[in-house]
Amino acid sequence: MRSKLRLALLAGALTCAPTIAEAHLVDTRLGDFYAGALHPLTDLEQILPWIALAALAAFQGAERARWIVLVFPLALLAGGLAALVFPALPFTSVLGLVLVAGTGLAVALAAPIPLSALVAVAVVTGLLHGYLNGAAMAPSTDRVLFLSGMTASGYAVFTLATGAAIAFLRGVGGWRPIALRAGGSWVAAVGIMVLGLHLAMKVPG
Amino acid sequence: MSGSPFRQSLALAAVLAAIPLAPAFAHTGAGVQLGLLSGFEHPLSGPDHIVAMVAVGLWGAQLGNPAIWVLPITFPLVMALGGLLGVLGVDLPFVEVMIAISGVALGMAVALNWRPPLWVAAVIVGIFAVFHGYAHGRELPDAADAVAFAVGFVVATGLLHLTGILLGVLVRWEWGVMAVRACGVLIGCVGLYFLAGAVGLA
Repeated sequence: MRSKLRLALLAGALTCAPTIAEAHLVDTRLGDFYAGALHPLTDLEQILPWIALAALAAFQGAERARWIVLVFPLALLAGGLAALVFPALPFTSVLGLVLVAGTGLAVALAAPIPLSALVAVAVVTGLLHGYLNGAAMAPSTDRVLFLSGMTASGYAVFTLATGAAIAFLRGVGGWRPIALRAGGSWVAAVGIMVLGLHLAMKVPG
Repeated sequence: MSGSPFRQSLALAAVLAAIPLAPAFAHTGAGVQLGLLSGFEHPLSGPDHIVAMVAVGLWGAQLGNPAIWVLPITFPLVMALGGLLGVLGVDLPFVEVMIAISGVALGMAVALNWRPPLWVAAVIVGIFAVFHGYAHGRELPDAADAVAFAVGFVVATGLLHLTGILLGVLVRWEWGVMAVRACGVLIGCVGLYFLAGAVGLA
């Protein structure tokens, strides 16, 4: 009798144990889409150059920035697909940090750059980050969903950030480009220091 | 173990009920949070850092265009070079003394409304930026997440500059000019206090 009571109490305890109530179970159907969408957003080394690239594109004007809105997500997708073929490329970390420092510096300088150079930066950034995200896929990951999510996320974030930066620059007040340039100098400072740390510690990759 | 089986079961049930059955995440982001927080707190944890950073913004605002934006944009970039020296473990002497002197010098510049050519102001601020960056950079290798730590302290530094710039906007009013110069005096005094501490006088 007592063992039954003990069993009932244990069962009751487990039933009442606090768990997170989730009405929408993202893991059941489109989970890997969300995983792909969120993966780049959880990495500051990716988000920083995305925002800096958006600001750089905004400084070049809406007409040029539209090209990047098209090119960047496609480069992300291509990079993700490349990760399926070349699973372990060297120097990706160093290149990523160079991009953080470089795009930040370009924003800080607010220098007008040719469209071809802007597109080249967007392509390299997209390919690299697509590759890094694609390489993070586990064998059980649905690759189509993951890469779709990553591409959609890249398109949405970059388009919104570029649009916001262009609208911000069009506002009244000479302080607006200065604020963006100051933000660029912050990103560049982060990139320079962490790149230095990376090279000093001789971290592989 | 003492007590009746019922009480033992009750205690066990209570313990089990208290255990939250949270899902296991491989990437908790804890390193990023800790890195951001510790990096953000680093410049705010030393009044000598705080007053010097605010002074950069104040002086920039006092000097007007283009210094108001040249100094705060130049500072993080030069600070990064100082941070590099710290990361590389280069032995830079008199760091604490120079950080304290930066408060004294920049405070005096604001208090005296000193208006040197832009390049002179940029060089002075740049030299001090190296020492402030060095102090932050020394902490970088030990951070939970180096990028997050760097983002944290760069943002905190930038916000301190912005605070100085916003205070410096007061120079548009006659009474504001004196208020800004009084801030300079205050900053100089704080710097002096820390300088006395750095050379062992306080």
